[in-house]
Amino acid sequence: MVCLPMANPYLVVEHLTKVYERGQVLALRDLSFTVDKGEFLVVIGLSGSGKSTLLRCINRLIEPTKGKIWLDGGEVTRLSQARMRRVRRKIGMIFQQFNLVDRSTAIANVLTGRLGYLPGWRALLGWFPEEDREKALASLERVGLRDKAYVRVDQLSGGQRQRVGIARALMQEPELLLADEPVSALDPATSHSIMQYLEQMNKEDGVTVIASLHFLSLARRYGTRIIALKDGQLVFDGSPQAIDNVKFKEIYGEDAEEVEVR
Amino acid sequence: MNGGSAAVGSASAGRGVALSRRALSFALDWMTWGYVAYCVMYLLNYYWYTVHVDWWGTLTLPTWGWPVVILATLELAVGCRSFGRSLGQRAIGAEFQDREGGRITIGRRLTRILLWHISVPLFAIGFWRGEDPWHDRVVGVSLRPISPDPERPGRRALATQWGILALFLGALTLWVGWLIIGINFQVLIRRAPQAGRIWGEMLRPDFRYFTTPDPVFSLRSQSYSILDLAVVTVFMALMATILGAAIAFPLSFFGARNVMGFSPVGWAVYGIVRGFFNVFRSIETIIWGSIFAVWVGYGTTLAGILALTVHTIAALGKLYSEQVEGVSPGPLEAVWAVGGSRVQVVRHAVIPQVLPSFWAFTLYRWDINVRMSTVIALVGGGGIGDMLFYYKNQGDWPKVGAVVIVIVAIVWAMDYISGWLRERIA
Repeated sequence: MVCLPMANPYLVVEHLTKVYERGQVLALRDLSFTVDKGEFLVVIGLSGSGKSTLLRCINRLIEPTKGKIWLDGGEVTRLSQARMRRVRRKIGMIFQQFNLVDRSTAIANVLTGRLGYLPGWRALLGWFPEEDREKALASLERVGLRDKAYVRVDQLSGGQRQRVGIARALMQEPELLLADEPVSALDPATSHSIMQYLEQMNKEDGVTVIASLHFLSLARRYGTRIIALKDGQLVFDGSPQAIDNVKFKEIYGEDAEEVEVR
Repeated sequence: MNGGSAAVGSASAGRGVALSRRALSFALDWMTWGYVAYCVMYLLNYYWYTVHVDWWGTLTLPTWGWPVVILATLELAVGCRSFGRSLGQRAIGAEFQDREGGRITIGRRLTRILLWHISVPLFAIGFWRGEDPWHDRVVGVSLRPISPDPERPGRRALATQWGILALFLGALTLWVGWLIIGINFQVLIRRAPQAGRIWGEMLRPDFRYFTTPDPVFSLRSQSYSILDLAVVTVFMALMATILGAAIAFPLSFFGARNVMGFSPVGWAVYGIVRGFFNVFRSIETIIWGSIFAVWVGYGTTLAGILALTVHTIAALGKLYSEQVEGVSPGPLEAVWAVGGSRVQVVRHAVIPQVLPSFWAFTLYRWDINVRMSTVIALVGGGGIGDMLFYYKNQGDWPKVGAVVIVIVAIVWAMDYISGWLRERIA
């Protein structure tokens, strides 16, 4: 029998396995770890190591093949689709490619963060309550884009788009934030500004953050804990300081050189 | 041809071509030869049918001739495939290669043709095993994808055997096509005076009934002037476009792969909706018009509107669905991630992405409908065409001229308006 760990961590992942049926690709192999409330967990690993799949298994945008996930004491992997949608309302997600509707305005994109709370007919008509609109403006204010609220997203720069993405996640008042390579498409300076917003959410709002990152320097700077994936397996789990040169080569391969993002 | 160099490495690298693709390429070869045979026979019939040939008799095809032609083309196809790459083999990008990488002699090619006749009937009783058919294995060849040789640049298309074959087929098609259609340009010149008289009368248009109703039509309970019917026609097109778009819009999401998902129910609904679009779109508006004219009354506006609407639903539905399938999946994922339902995903991630192109397609369709509505009366669909064809049958060319001028004005104006709107929206 599976015994729940004593301290009741916020998120428990047990024996998580994902097989993509086409091509029989093993994306995740028997992954187990826990995350405490308020942690800033960084997932590192090469492209194709399973980072994105792991994050999407947690909110079940991708169905795990095997294994169990508990969130806040409830088993996520056993929920029906309708109940899963309710759970997702409290899980914010930001994406590498921002996943915004380019033709819509920033505020229209931010408002979609409230969709989970809207009754069906209102959502169908796109009638968001006045307080949601105010909240959206406040979220945009928080990421410094209040003046861009009614600008179409395709007029914004990459960093601005990701900030719209963060504002959309803020709308959910999330307990957990999944960030799938939030800064891979951005330049180093912008990367830090985005990461600082995530850090702020983590420290000030007490949001548990799970972010996958490419750069180890960013992971060391912002993470309170790091896990590393290689070919879908967990090869490291510990504090940012514990990754030395030997560990680094193990995760990224013999030929890898560490690149700093300043 | 290049058996030596190209095949050395491919003995291990190349896998045989799948049977279904082989069958496809074979069918293509057979059809090509069948087409050539048909064309040759048509030409023989056309030019020498009545010519008596001493040692042959007259050149008609006896009843047993068709099986002979079919068998002969089959043999030609097999022969072509055994001797080098045929058209069908080229189509799937494959050629015969020796299993060990050696040359394939003419003797082996001939053997393969002979063995083919034994092997194919055996296929029916499940005799073939492995990746190559029996006749290929005995001769020791395999149909494999061509690995392109970067050392050897391709020759100019017209200089290759395929270029020559394409030219030959093209020339044959033009020749036979010319004979089948039987174009006679002399008529165009000979009857020019009659046409000149009609043109002359039409260029002196008679606008007597432009605003006053023509009493002729009072017998048919519709006493309309040209202007009345012009307005009717414009609104016919407008109503058909609005109705059609309103029905096609919700339907199009059921005909989009990415929205319907991959459950069995999703597949079934997708298949039914797409099938409906394809079938109803392939039946032209004019045919729908004649169906509805019988149904709701000949010469009524309703018949015309129904015909235009049905075709609009199918045509717009297909265009819409393809747009929906082409949206970028990122925003959809984002709406799923915030806890949105399928309906919300469509409303907040799909529709904002597709709306501008939906508008453009709808306006374009309005354009088509205006043009169609002017002639739908030909099959009893009502509208201004009703007047046009009535006057034409009366031989009242000045009045035909007036109606044509009004039609041209309508089409030109609608064309301009919809083009202007399209520019603004898209």
